[in-house]
Amino acid sequence: MGRYILRRVLQAVGTLFLVMVVLHLLTTFAIQLNGNPALAFFGEHEPSASQLAAVEKRYGLDDPCYDQVGNPCAGPFVDRLVAYAQGDFGTNLRGRAVTEIVAQSAPHTLRLFVVVTFTWLTIGMVLGSVAARWRGRPADHGIRFTTVLVDALPVFVLLLLYKFVVTVPVHQWARSEFGSESWPALWFRPSFDADHPWATVLIPGILLGVSGSAAFVRLVRASQLESYSGEHVRTARSKGLPERYVVLHHVVRNSSIPVVTAVGLVFTEALAGAVVTEGLMNINGMGGVLWGAVKGSDVSLVLGVVTLLAVVTVVVMIVVDVLYAALDPRIRYE
Amino acid sequence: MTGAAPLLEVTDLAVEFRTPGGVVRAVDGLTYQVEAGRTLAIVGESGSGKSVSSLAVMGLLGPTAHVTRGTARLNGTDLLALPPREHRARCGQDVAMVFQDALAALNPVLTVGFQLTEALRARHRISRGEARQRAVELLDLVKVPHARERVRDYPHQFSGGMRQRVMIACALALDPKVLIADEPTTALDVTVQAQVLRLLAEIQAERQMGLVLITHDLGVVAGVADDVTVMYAGRAVEQAGVLGAFRSPAHPYTRALLQSVPQLGSRTRLPVIPGRPPGPGDRPAGCPFHPRCALAQDVCRADPPPPLVEAAPGRWSACHFAGDVLRGAAVPAETTPEGDPR
Ligand SMILES: Nc1ncnc2c1ncn2[C@@H]1O[C@H](COP(=O)(O)OP(=O)(O)OP(=O)(O)O)[C@@H](O)[C@H]1O
Ligand code: SF4
Ligand SMILES: [Mg+2]
Repeated sequence: MGRYILRRVLQAVGTLFLVMVVLHLLTTFAIQLNGNPALAFFGEHEPSASQLAAVEKRYGLDDPCYDQVGNPCAGPFVDRLVAYAQGDFGTNLRGRAVTEIVAQSAPHTLRLFVVVTFTWLTIGMVLGSVAARWRGRPADHGIRFTTVLVDALPVFVLLLLYKFVVTVPVHQWARSEFGSESWPALWFRPSFDADHPWATVLIPGILLGVSGSAAFVRLVRASQLESYSGEHVRTARSKGLPERYVVLHHVVRNSSIPVVTAVGLVFTEALAGAVVTEGLMNINGMGGVLWGAVKGSDVSLVLGVVTLLAVVTVVVMIVVDVLYAALDPRIRYE
Repeated sequence: MTGAAPLLEVTDLAVEFRTPGGVVRAVDGLTYQVEAGRTLAIVGESGSGKSVSSLAVMGLLGPTAHVTRGTARLNGTDLLALPPREHRARCGQDVAMVFQDALAALNPVLTVGFQLTEALRARHRISRGEARQRAVELLDLVKVPHARERVRDYPHQFSGGMRQRVMIACALALDPKVLIADEPTTALDVTVQAQVLRLLAEIQAERQMGLVLITHDLGVVAGVADDVTVMYAGRAVEQAGVLGAFRSPAHPYTRALLQSVPQLGSRTRLPVIPGRPPGPGDRPAGCPFHPRCALAQDVCRADPPPPLVEAAPGRWSACHFAGDVLRGAAVPAETTPEGDPR
């Protein structure tokens, strides 16, 4: 198991390095083709040559390679890797440390994520298991029909409907009924409130979770159905074990392996959904920071945030792989 | 067959499957008996309904299958008439089953120790230590070396033969009265097959269990079985003591099987006899064996033969001419093969 984890971590480091190379090349070519991003620092007014040079120097954009289209700019890349390795992610155009910005916005995103993942897993496991257990019965048909409905409704439509149709009347009613600081009033606030981070992120998170759960319900159902017809399930029954025990220990347990794999895949999807949700619900999270940074040509911030997101994704992948191995001894001893 | 009261008595069992192409009768009036301390071999070509009938006795048929008639009495209680929950509760302790492919039949993600004792733990409150001890005992019983360490291993870490022993140990965990082994050695090497069979026979004799051994291998039948039931197209066509059946078969199908026994070394599957068995959907009228039967007469094409009749004491056959066949009469010359092994 130890060797397995080590191998996964090494692979992850390799992946991360590749992501950074690609990211560096993309931004380098963007700078070379689009012109100097240091200009963005001055906004509307025209800087003098010396002012521009000072700013360029400060953000590591003074290397002449940025003026030569096609030059991969290996020097600045190595400099940046060294800085990152020392925990220095640079500053944004306004001089705030990237790490500080991320530290402030990441918890909001994380909270959203926790709610989304929890909703998603609960709905998927419960509905998927019920549909598989009563295959072909009304419960199964009902669940499958619902997943199709949910799939037909994209996240942003769901959120728009929620924000502009549901929240306003409900929020107003709850405020007058229970007071503006009551839980119901906070739950249905049309936008995020940093003073009540959990309460105001709860329902958008659940909605995002619901919309992501449809595919997951189907996956859980399919993988459990496969288990139900498996020979080892027949063996378990032949031992006289009660059906409940068989379902728990031989069906759900075995089908949790493909399910865990899917968690890793859907994580990235949830990341995209989180950006949309943050934008719509005015949640000041990583998605918002990234959006602003790209719009403002804030190169260091973009690079820092994307690198961090890549790190998070890679860590999740490792966790999934390790969980996978923990669930399936055949992988562990491979 | 001896005069003792049978332990497991299957009578006139019929099983149907609902398929997209209509209803298919996979087992159609199967009757057999097993007595305590004896081994009954069930032989028959692929598709004759051996597995389906065993699963029916165990109550393990899928949702598309339906037992349309028949009984399976164990010590007098008809298992098939019990509510599903009670039927399930009898599995493992009254009648247990060993499946063919142990790799698929064991759960790949649970330790062997867990699978050996789960039935025990589900029924009795026993401590982890006791369960572990019991698992070790079971592995010892089936002669898996280093049992104490191996209970922690997973099925894929065992060799094929050892895995099949584990499978057998699982079935023995609740000390069943009857064990149904569905081709327990088909997936194994020839040498390993013999070891596993010897082990099964030993345990069966020691515990005075009734053993139903489903097999394709007539050599196995001759070696370990006391009685034999020959199945054809979903029903028993002959039941007898092994010696009698081999020396003087009472059904033309059994005779054809025996006459075509291949030479040693290639005896893994049932010998081929000309023609193909009818599928469950296209059984001919009259005797289902008549298109392939060397003795078929007009009456065979018109009337189905009676279900097992006693042609001689302990010699049951489902053939219009059971008595003649038993006496070895009326065998048309051209079907007598050269070099009959018997
Ligand atoms: N789930 C099913 N649906 C429809 N028909 C089935 C199903 N399972 C089995 N059958 C049919 O029942 C018949 C008997 O099958 P069974 O598995 O009992 O044969 P068998 O004697 O065990 O053969 P083998 O020696 O190959 O194991 C076959 O003709 C098969 O097509
Ligand atoms: S009844 Fe007729 S066809 Fe059938 S086995 Fe006997 S002789 Fe052959
Ligand atoms: Mg079979």
